[in-house]
Amino acid sequence: MDAGALGLYVCLFVALYFEVFLMISFFEKRPSKKDSYLPARYPSVSMLVPCFNEEKTLAGTIDSLLAMEYPKEKLEIVVIDDGSTDRTAEIAKRYEQACHAPDYSGAVVSFLQKQNGGKYTALNLGIERSHGEIIGCLDADSFAAPDALMEAVKMFGNDHTAMAITPAMQVYKPRKMLELMQSVEYTFGIFYKKMFDNLSAINVLPGPFSMYKREVFEKIGPFKHAHNTEDMEIAFRMHANGLRIVNAHNTYVYTTVPTTVRSLLRQRTRWSQGFLQNAHDYKYMFFNRRYGNFGMLVLPFALSAFVSGIYAALYLFYRFMSAGADRLIDRFATGVPLTIPHAPHIDLFFLNIGMMSFVIAAVIALTLIAIWIGSGIAKTRLTPKAFLAYFALFGLLAPLWLIRAAWGAALARESAWR
Amino acid sequence: MSPMQWHKYVLTFVITAAIFVTAFFIAGTFDAQRVADIRATQEAVSINILSLETQFDLMGSLSCSTISDNPVLSEELNTLAARLSVAEENLGQDDAQVISLKKQYSLLEIKDYLLMQHISDKCSKFKPVYILYFYSNKGDCPDCGKMGDVFTYLRETYPGLRVYSFDYHLDLSVLRTLVALRKIDADKGLPAFVVNNRAPVYGFKTLQEMQKLIPELKTLATTTAVQ
Repeated sequence: MDAGALGLYVCLFVALYFEVFLMISFFEKRPSKKDSYLPARYPSVSMLVPCFNEEKTLAGTIDSLLAMEYPKEKLEIVVIDDGSTDRTAEIAKRYEQACHAPDYSGAVVSFLQKQNGGKYTALNLGIERSHGEIIGCLDADSFAAPDALMEAVKMFGNDHTAMAITPAMQVYKPRKMLELMQSVEYTFGIFYKKMFDNLSAINVLPGPFSMYKREVFEKIGPFKHAHNTEDMEIAFRMHANGLRIVNAHNTYVYTTVPTTVRSLLRQRTRWSQGFLQNAHDYKYMFFNRRYGNFGMLVLPFALSAFVSGIYAALYLFYRFMSAGADRLIDRFATGVPLTIPHAPHIDLFFLNIGMMSFVIAAVIALTLIAIWIGSGIAKTRLTPKAFLAYFALFGLLAPLWLIRAAWGAALARESAWR
Repeated sequence: MSPMQWHKYVLTFVITAAIFVTAFFIAGTFDAQRVADIRATQEAVSINILSLETQFDLMGSLSCSTISDNPVLSEELNTLAARLSVAEENLGQDDAQVISLKKQYSLLEIKDYLLMQHISDKCSKFKPVYILYFYSNKGDCPDCGKMGDVFTYLRETYPGLRVYSFDYHLDLSVLRTLVALRKIDADKGLPAFVVNNRAPVYGFKTLQEMQKLIPELKTLATTTAVQ
């Protein structure tokens, strides 16, 4: 066995180890079903909507917040325009004015405007100017289910140690191949987020509908620039300060996702590079028992997945290209004409089935089980086309953003927002 | 922070390792099945050769058309070669089972080669074109892969062409005798091959050179247009 293949086995072992760990966690503590109980108490909630040029989706986002099944007097919606150059401010102002109408009975909508300074500055202004006991964030390209807030508040009520809550995030009306690919990926994410919760090791508080107790910011300070991934850094910082994050798997949030390869690569490069740079900033947490499974499992695995993804992609690319080049050179040297390969034999004997095939099959099988569990948790419906898109595209695209992110981090270059 | 559950880390390691071990054994079972498959094919080829030899002995005054209309084992030997190549790739060229299979395969090839010669002596209508090809995969023959490609192409293009390939370094007394009889000298450089009992040719030859070296190819039927 060559060293390259051995490296691939190491990558597969790490991937399998992680999946098995999550499966064990699942069987130890299965996610609870949605119940019809109401919260014992309704704390005041400020939903912050930071936006920058979100004229297409902002109205939908605010509408989804206004439609929340929550006492209106306890809900405040704060739209913060981070220096948009489109009609974002106009739309937000319209909602603000509407709530001053005498017959208005919905939640209060307030509008703040500032010069462009990045999402974290918009969030911090919102935190500063809002009044809620609970602070929620909702990206202006996302929509929450009507009972999402109720479910999140119930989670805070049931678990008094919870200082922040992440939702179950799904792709909003996936249609194109890239959206379908991401719908499967997000469903897989629903599973592992819940398992991370079981391990007290949630690694990110995503923009769409993450909720915080106000005291979090009083204890550890506001959002930071954090390499354009403030939602990841705040999770790291909360772990560093022993503040617990839980996953409210019955809180459904729908987000729009990139629909072009270019925008997807940009988004994922930002996330991946942000992880590398934040991981560097918090490197003392790696393999540090003080930070529990977050330091011992999640951070090391995330980094190894990063390295493995790049390694496997480069190794397979090298093997494929060198085999192709050898074949081409041989053809020229031998004078044998290039012909269309024969139709493959339907003969099990000639199938390239070795140990690696079975290990890969095990990894894929566990991934499919995880996706199936994830779709059960969030009641998502995944079509065969979505699985096809996932298995055909993800392996091709992920290495691209990983390599770009590694390159960007190595050069200490700031990743682009959009 | 919840307390660390070290037993879970250990349990996960054990399960993951168990999956790897299972994969190893399943792959081993597949390989064993491949070897059994090759042995079964070899047995079938062996029976066919014996049957032909007996038929040849019985033939006496019978018409040669019985045999020339029925072009013997070329296809089966080719299939066997392809299967052996897969087994060699999966189990490794130094694997004892692979070496044993290669020896049996070489013996079958030699038997088929001798039978063909007998038939062509007896039946003037039957004029086979055959090549004894000597290769090495010990690292002393960088051009053997390319030469193999040329022979594969020729074999596919001319189904009537019989290419008997032998691992020069295979420790088999019959093979050593054949090497001595055909005066193959590895010091002159492998690959080496003999066309229809002519003098050995050494070194890599392109497809075009091979077509010039074997004018008899023109007499053989082709599966595709020859370029």
